[in-house]
Amino acid sequence: MIKTIGLEEAVGTQLAHDITEIRPGEFKGPAFRQGHTVCEEDICRLQRLGKNHLYVIDLEADEIHENEAAALLAGALAGEGIVWENNPREGKINLQAAWDGLLQVDVQALAAFNLVDEVMCATLHNHTLVKQGELVGGTRALPLIMKRAAIERAAAIASQSGGVVAVKPLQKTRAGLVITGNEVYHGLIQDRFAPTLTAKIEALGSEVAALEFAPDDAEAIARAIRAHLARGCGLLLLSGGMSVDPDDVTRHGIRLAGATEMHYGAAVLPGAMFLVAYLGEVPLLGVPACALHHRITALDLVLPRILAGERIGKTELAFLGHGGLCRDCPECSYPHCSFGKGM
Amino acid sequence: MSFTGKTPFEELLAASVAAHGHLCPGQIVGVRLAMLGCRLIGFEVPCPYHQLKKLIVFIEMDRCTGDAVAHVTGVKLGRRSLKFMDYGIMAATFINLETGKAFRVISTEAARDLAPLYAPQEPDQRSQQLEAYRVMPDSVLFRVQEVEVALSPYDLPGPTRRKVACARCGQVIRDHREVVQDSLALCRPCAGGAYFKAAKEITWDDMNWSPQSQVQKLDPIGRQQSLKERQTLLS
Repeated sequence: MIKTIGLEEAVGTQLAHDITEIRPGEFKGPAFRQGHTVCEEDICRLQRLGKNHLYVIDLEADEIHENEAAALLAGALAGEGIVWENNPREGKINLQAAWDGLLQVDVQALAAFNLVDEVMCATLHNHTLVKQGELVGGTRALPLIMKRAAIERAAAIASQSGGVVAVKPLQKTRAGLVITGNEVYHGLIQDRFAPTLTAKIEALGSEVAALEFAPDDAEAIARAIRAHLARGCGLLLLSGGMSVDPDDVTRHGIRLAGATEMHYGAAVLPGAMFLVAYLGEVPLLGVPACALHHRITALDLVLPRILAGERIGKTELAFLGHGGLCRDCPECSYPHCSFGKGM
Repeated sequence: MSFTGKTPFEELLAASVAAHGHLCPGQIVGVRLAMLGCRLIGFEVPCPYHQLKKLIVFIEMDRCTGDAVAHVTGVKLGRRSLKFMDYGIMAATFINLETGKAFRVISTEAARDLAPLYAPQEPDQRSQQLEAYRVMPDSVLFRVQEVEVALSPYDLPGPTRRKVACARCGQVIRDHREVVQDSLALCRPCAGGAYFKAAKEITWDDMNWSPQSQVQKLDPIGRQQSLKERQTLLS
């Protein structure tokens, strides 16, 4: 139960909730914390904050205070790799990354959670790379007091698959590169793929363990792939030969090497001719030539997910379509843009 | 898993679909709603006979979901274990007569909005609902209220406990459903507010038909027949 009292009666009572102060452009935060005992000196400041009445709370057995509710919700929302502090500020609790990695959001559970009345949770996009300590989500219960059963149902929905948000650490793997194309193999032009791909792999904490060059010959490409597997590479990247020319035989080479699964084409621009294959459990990514021209392509959307242990198939490549169109800005601001943020 | 390789849910759904006539999202919701309702009152699904005698279910809609709830639980109108409340709400209340515990399970509207998220691989709304309602957890698909239901002895299964004749038309009224107006016990049509109007007695063709007359047509000699012979002729 909640009761309203005039400020003149408030001295000696405890505040039912944090009281927010906003000084435009300077400060937004609690001027007084929940549980603070109001004294004579506080009255003037409370009046300056526009408070002429205060709430006094007497919780019924089936009711819950916003702070306890927020903690219950945060505990249910937080999956593996998420930390939070049980110190709600203005009824809100932040969810933070416990370590570097890839944010995973159970989008369906998040929507189901937010459809429960009087609770909310907002997160960063699914599959965002985050650093330890980074804010990835926030939750709060909206009213000051509410029915405990509704909060417990929201918590059950949030924990249906072990939490709504999680951070998966990226595996540190030894990658093998195969650069295909007669023009590079025979030295007609200088390769630019190897340094580009190496930089991307190293930026995600892995290393390039071996590099092979192969001509536009399916057998030669297959041999290069097998050589990398024999060296124990845990991830293969192949560049070139993904297009529609008669010389583009990379896919044939991947099949000859024994690919057990192959998905050609991603709903991404740039990167429509991207390829994902598996040789047993080893993923192989076929990188089209657009990766030489654009800073960010389908490869940058998929590679972190592969390193986070996700298996990428036809469905995952298809679902990239919503948000999969790069705006080709004069100055690239990825990841602070819409690219790859659909699902 | 059972010997058929299906989960108990899939077995119940298949049986419910066969009884209802088609598979639809409402059937899936109804089967799950009944499974949850029975679980909450400590009953199995399908209810064994000794539990069925202690079960009453109030169904608040006449939709596919209602048929599924009735089929899975085994409650029936004629046994007085199924009570239809014409609320137009996707909900049903399950009462354990032994413990008095009662739970009202409500299908959430949010589940409909969430179907595309739970089954994004499906191409249209109907197939998304068919798949999503299979995979959604109960917490998303339903809300539950613990409720108290004041059941009159006249609402319970068992023999008719009271009969009175309508003071206006003479119709016998069972189980205390009469309406008292000016100290007179009336049937509901006589008391006003019937679902029909302009009632007028009629005659119709072949008024003297009976199952026995059908048998006599098949056996024009008209000899005395045993029950077994009649059954053979009719089968």
